[in-house]
Amino acid sequence: MARRQTATLRAVRPVPPAWELHLDLEVVPQAGCYVLADLGGPLREPLFPSVVDGDGFSTVVPRGHPATRLLPGSPVDVLGPLGHGFRLAAIGHALDRLLLIAEVDDLPWLQPLYQAAPSVALVVEATTRLRLPAPSRFPPTLELTMVTRDGSTGYLGPIEEDGPAPAGVVRVLPRLRELMAWAECICVAADVVRYPALARLVKDVRYLPQADFAQALVRVSMPCGVGACDICRVTTRHGERHACVDGPVFDLMDFTGESARRVSRSRGGRPHGVNEAIA
Amino acid sequence: MIELAPRHKYGLPLMVPVMPASGTFGYGHAYHDLVDLSVLGAIVTNPVSLKARTAARGRRVGVRGDHFVVHTGWPNPGVRRVIRESGRVWERLTVPVIVHLLATQPASVGRAAGMLSGVRGVRGLELGFAATVGIERACAQLSAAVEEGDLPVIAKLPFGRVADLAGPLVDAGADALTLMSPPRAVLPVGEVGPGGSVARFMRGRLYGAALFPMTLHILSQWVGKLDVPVIACGGIASPDDALTCLTLGAAAVQIDALLWRDPGLLEAVARAVVRVQPPVTEIDDAQPHDTEDMEVAP
Repeated sequence: MARRQTATLRAVRPVPPAWELHLDLEVVPQAGCYVLADLGGPLREPLFPSVVDGDGFSTVVPRGHPATRLLPGSPVDVLGPLGHGFRLAAIGHALDRLLLIAEVDDLPWLQPLYQAAPSVALVVEATTRLRLPAPSRFPPTLELTMVTRDGSTGYLGPIEEDGPAPAGVVRVLPRLRELMAWAECICVAADVVRYPALARLVKDVRYLPQADFAQALVRVSMPCGVGACDICRVTTRHGERHACVDGPVFDLMDFTGESARRVSRSRGGRPHGVNEAIA
Repeated sequence: MIELAPRHKYGLPLMVPVMPASGTFGYGHAYHDLVDLSVLGAIVTNPVSLKARTAARGRRVGVRGDHFVVHTGWPNPGVRRVIRESGRVWERLTVPVIVHLLATQPASVGRAAGMLSGVRGVRGLELGFAATVGIERACAQLSAAVEEGDLPVIAKLPFGRVADLAGPLVDAGADALTLMSPPRAVLPVGEVGPGGSVARFMRGRLYGAALFPMTLHILSQWVGKLDVPVIACGGIASPDDALTCLTLGAAAVQIDALLWRDPGLLEAVARAVVRVQPPVTEIDDAQPHDTEDMEVAP
């Protein structure tokens, strides 16, 4: 049920390269769910939790975001919590082994799951070493696999690609396959265009994965939050779905087949209409 | 009570002259947790076409300052499925439903209008035209909706096309006019490069409170010259804005995408309109040499 609440901004602090906001809220969003906040712009903005506690939640916004100029104590009008978040209970038994996969920019949205199971493995990918957080910023219980696209540290990415690697660098794909075989549940937060390849990988590693074995967060513009504006439609194998109400967490296997081709066309192909580079 | 289709055999009476604009409110049930639908005059659905349409690819929204552009491609599952999925909701609603039809091929418009006639809860159609539609084609589309269907038809005019389309469409059988669809606009959405050039642009429907003065301009120019009720639409951001439109002679108002930020706006406008009876107002004409009739009575 969509509800309107007034949150109170408790703290704003830099967490390079971004900023962290903490909002006190009566009903807080769980991992993968979101609230739509009125931060002064013409459209509400979705805020996903990076930390959830009893009083509220923390979220991360880019440097220079208008919310970083708000003073602590400011009221913030929010709609929500909205959407379907990560469903770890859907596995059907107590979860022992959880695998998290994230691009570094989407890492905060998996942070509430760092202690969701006794054994949690995290694969985080960045373009280069400088964009990765220091290992000391992760809980020591987390089994961490760092991936860079240029091989400057950790394994060589992209995570879904195979092929030869330069001397002294190891591709991450064999390691990822091992982790996928080990895990009882996988949660992914990355660019939606990568989901078809990841879904194929899961299908290769796991024989007929059960529903919600692998779950993927889709972060797109969601101005209304109730499925009215049609801006957040994503193509899945079940047809078009609203990320705001049917997601934003979907079964990763929904991004297979025809939907995969459509997702990839929407990224690299000529867009419908005229929303493309004019200059 | 106002009558939006006085020339139609059934008419289209509304208790309150306030409704959401097409493309902003879904098919009637999306906002049921946040908006008390019973205080509204009607609900205008998202655009519907005879056949299903998928969403536009690429970027769908761009924001700059206080305004934004939207390009969705008007995705919808097709009129048959919309009736199947939303028909029960419309039946239970206490307010009339006006289905917004996309003006495509006249034959398709006619078939869709025919399928919607007799659907319980649906009391009218609103026909949305392409920005570049020709006069003859627009009249053919409207005639198809009027002749094949049995419901009052409201024509929603593209921005800036009142002068050439309003008269012919009224003659072709439009029961009311919505002034207007959002204008088309282009916004830079990419980051500014080292040379100062913007890498990407986005074209779409423009929304924002800045549209409101344009809506007033169009209303003041045209409302007295048209023989059918006029619904004001564009940039209405407060109960005062809505009352101003009614004062200028609009029969009803539509709240556009500004309700996404403040869903309570619809209810606030509806309650304010019910409370206040707008007075007859004279417009202070800033151009005294302009010979156009600027004195408008509601």
